[in-house]
Amino acid sequence: MAVNGGTIKDKKSVKRIRELKIEGGKLIRCKIEVENGRIERILLSGDFFLYPEESITQLESELKGLKIDDRKSIKRVITKFFRGVEAVGITKEDLMKIILGNDRW
Amino acid sequence: MRLLLESQDCYRNMAEDEALIKTKSEPTLRLYTWKPSAVSIGYFQSIKDEVDVNFCRKNGIDIVRRNTGGGAVFHDEKGELTYSLMYPLSEWNKLAESIGRDGNNIMETYRIVCNCLIIGLEKLGIEADFKPINDIETNGKKISGSAQTRREGYLLQHGTLLYSLNTKKMFRVLKVSDEKIRDKKIASAKERVTSITLQLGKVSFKSVVGAMILGFETGLKEKVKIGKLKKEEEEMLEKLAKEKYGCEWWNNQR
Repeated sequence: MAVNGGTIKDKKSVKRIRELKIEGGKLIRCKIEVENGRIERILLSGDFFLYPEESITQLESELKGLKIDDRKSIKRVITKFFRGVEAVGITKEDLMKIILGNDRW
Repeated sequence: MRLLLESQDCYRNMAEDEALIKTKSEPTLRLYTWKPSAVSIGYFQSIKDEVDVNFCRKNGIDIVRRNTGGGAVFHDEKGELTYSLMYPLSEWNKLAESIGRDGNNIMETYRIVCNCLIIGLEKLGIEADFKPINDIETNGKKISGSAQTRREGYLLQHGTLLYSLNTKKMFRVLKVSDEKIRDKKIASAKERVTSITLQLGKVSFKSVVGAMILGFETGLKEKVKIGKLKKEEEEMLEKLAKEKYGCEWWNNQR
């Protein structure tokens, strides 16, 4: 690892913003930052409905730290999340689609 | 059901809905306007994605995050009648049952409440339909949008009714997603929205308020009685406006 002036040079950080148009006219936006292959930051936004609303923060913090190519763990976190909330205008599948995506990191 | 008729800023408007729930209010219908004009964004939205903040600042338009999901709305001071319905869930479920619906069900509740607006619009001479998830349309154009949540044993549904339309300002204030328009296969965003005055020509705001009161009374099979806020409700409202809805930590959290 090459360290230069206190910054780790080969630290690979990639930011992406994805948008997914979902049925009924709703939109989900996912701002995701992947560092060294792991989800460093993730922010879900959009005009959907989730009850209770505050639970979204919990989902985001559980996704944080997961490997972006560990589709199994990401799916498990999302599935568990949907068991505890009521959603209108957004499905488990929508969320998986936008978080997993098809991008190469 | 208590009826409150009001006009105040966006922080107080959003604080009042929550204050009534926090103080375990009796079933209450609010009909109100926004002074000054404001933008409200949905719980899960991000201000900078949805709103032209500089334009709002320059034009004295406030911005507030709602405690309900859904999309960003421009609330024109003179162009919109807004409603909020706060109902203890136990009573709401009974009411829904009495009209053959399930009050626990979010979509059925949208239907019941939106139907009140549809009855009100009908009384004005506008034929309108519920457009799931949360809109009302007339002649294929949106005239009303609503958002619902349930917390602390209460139903809260609030929504808009467009009285007159300042499309130019609306689309200047809101960043409209191209994706959304493309999906609806309509060339211009302006063609997706209409208002009461666009549909009817001249009609007074007062008569719209009157029609909506009748719409709610008919739709919920319950008389309304004009009331005012209790002291503890007013205090909670002040507190929430100052410590939550008027604050950066709340409005910029996403």
